Amino acid sequence: MRTTIRLVASSLSLGVVLVAGVAAAGPLDGPGAAKALACSACHGPGGQSPSNTMPIIAGIAPWYFKKAIEDYAAGRRPSPEMEPYAKYVIQAGVDDLAAYFTGQARQPTAMRPDDAAIERGRAASKQCAICHGESGRGDAAKGSPDLRGQPPGYLRHQMLLFKADRRNPADETLKALKALMKTVPDDQIGDLAAYYSSLR
Amino acid sequence: MTRLTRREFLRTSGTGAGLGLLAAAGVAGCAPAIKGDFAPKAGRRVVVIGGGWGGATAAKYVRLADPSIEVVLLEPNQQFVSCPFSNLVLSGVRSIDSLTFGYGGLRSHDVKVYHAAASAIEPDTRRVRVGEGYLEYDRLIVSPGVEFQWEQVDGLAEAQDRVLHAWKAGRQTVQLARQLEAMPDGGVFVLTVPPVAYRCPPGPYERACQVAWYLKTRKPKSKLVVLDANQNVVSKAALFRAAWKDYPNLEYRASNKVVKVDPSTREVTTDFGDRVKYDVVNLIPPQRAGTIAVQADLVGADKRWCEVDHVTYESVKHKNVHVVGDSTIGLPVPKSGNIANAMGKICAVAVVHLLNGKEVPSMAPGNTCYSWVNDREAIAVVNAYKIEGGKVVQIEQKLTPSQSAEWAQHADGWARSIWQDILA
Repeated sequence: MRTTIRLVASSLSLGVVLVAGVAAAGPLDGPGAAKALACSACHGPGGQSPSNTMPIIAGIAPWYFKKAIEDYAAGRRPSPEMEPYAKYVIQAGVDDLAAYFTGQARQPTAMRPDDAAIERGRAASKQCAICHGESGRGDAAKGSPDLRGQPPGYLRHQMLLFKADRRNPADETLKALKALMKTVPDDQIGDLAAYYSSLR
Repeated sequence: MTRLTRREFLRTSGTGAGLGLLAAAGVAGCAPAIKGDFAPKAGRRVVVIGGGWGGATAAKYVRLADPSIEVVLLEPNQQFVSCPFSNLVLSGVRSIDSLTFGYGGLRSHDVKVYHAAASAIEPDTRRVRVGEGYLEYDRLIVSPGVEFQWEQVDGLAEAQDRVLHAWKAGRQTVQLARQLEAMPDGGVFVLTVPPVAYRCPPGPYERACQVAWYLKTRKPKSKLVVLDANQNVVSKAALFRAAWKDYPNLEYRASNKVVKVDPSTREVTTDFGDRVKYDVVNLIPPQRAGTIAVQADLVGADKRWCEVDHVTYESVKHKNVHVVGDSTIGLPVPKSGNIANAMGKICAVAVVHLLNGKEVPSMAPGNTCYSWVNDREAIAVVNAYKIEGGKVVQIEQKLTPSQSAEWAQHADGWARSIWQDILA
């Protein structure tokens, strides 16, 4: 194979272009792929986070990716880690990166919460379903993201941030959500995280 | 980590004669007789020198970016031991095993891992010398890490077996942990910080936290003295100083450069002539680029660090030779594992574009750096960069507002993710 490439490439200039094109059609081609290399240290290759802490951004809805980046960059969603990286993303081109991550096939997290927690979470999820849907798929019109298959540690942490009003503190559109979260005991937040993490 | 561990057992079973030889040599841990061109190049080939955070990442990502390019990685160590988190081995919070990984994941990407050291680089003939033999390359990526300037501290070269640096995670990390454990309560642990530039700017101060935490909880009559060659804490200064309020057993002395060590009297001497007695000393020596970079004339006039193009990481001194990681200088970035990983990825993509005759995309690295201040809390600094006029420029630096268990959880997530980014 390699010999063939070399022979063709050295005999025909057109061949160089074609073969180089074929040879370089790797998973890192495309404008977003190279720019997204900065993200994989925390979010995993292609945004497929292997940890319990960092969210999976493979397959993310573009509207939600952009909102998150804009909120982080503006300091509305306070994060010492994501604020600088969000500014990097805006600098590099948020549309390219959104398109790249949206195009990645999402695998659910490898983290496995225990079945009892999942069942308790399912029983407690009725109010969440009003915005996130019975399936947990979310609803762009309501600004609700897809929660399915995210690491339970990440989901739990975000709910605790809402409860403590540390995520988007002054955001009027999140007032009802935060009021609801304040009524949920921390243990139950863990159960809800387990449930939504288990959804496919 | 499950994924990494599983892959350790999925050894590639030799794909082709010369390559099989290399893979087998790597697995068996003994090199075959190396003479002449011991693995003749059939197609395009990238050779990577050094399988640390920069080199291992670069090797993997060249294969990901263009599987038609052969990649040979030269790394003398059989296993990868993470420097980030290794300070936690000193306090007993982490085991060295939890930071140790094999190169099986890279082999599954068909990186030909060869456990040998490169002895010379010949840029004119595009060859890397290994023992009595050589390898040819189209492009070379050098990620040699740091070497210690033993001669900068009187008495250090002769005392290397007793006066430990533990600044390359592995055997010395475990030895230093044992020395700390064996130190009598009431003893003095002296930690010395070298002048900038050195690997991992916050590392010595995180180590101070871990040693002080261990002493506070296990040997409460003992004391830690930090002798810093620099005028102030080099990184995350306010956060470290806040953390040290919990450690009355920690005495920090700025502008105290250690110039001499004498294991027979168990004392170090500073450039002001002050002598400090120790029961255990951890002397982190001044540093420069890894030896191969100096021998191959990749370093600048200072004979310490390698200047590179900010977009391609090609050496300013030799064509077709790229340098990544701690041995580089001139970019406004710290010598951190996250930066080395980022440089490895960017350089890999640049090398593939160059080999394919395409325009290299301009990409900047990023830095995410956590430090543990006790057994359960951490702090962090994050830097974002952009390319402007062909140079890396910082967009912003952010610090965590305080220490907390939240950042420690993020640190765990980061480590789990980035180890896979490098090796899996």
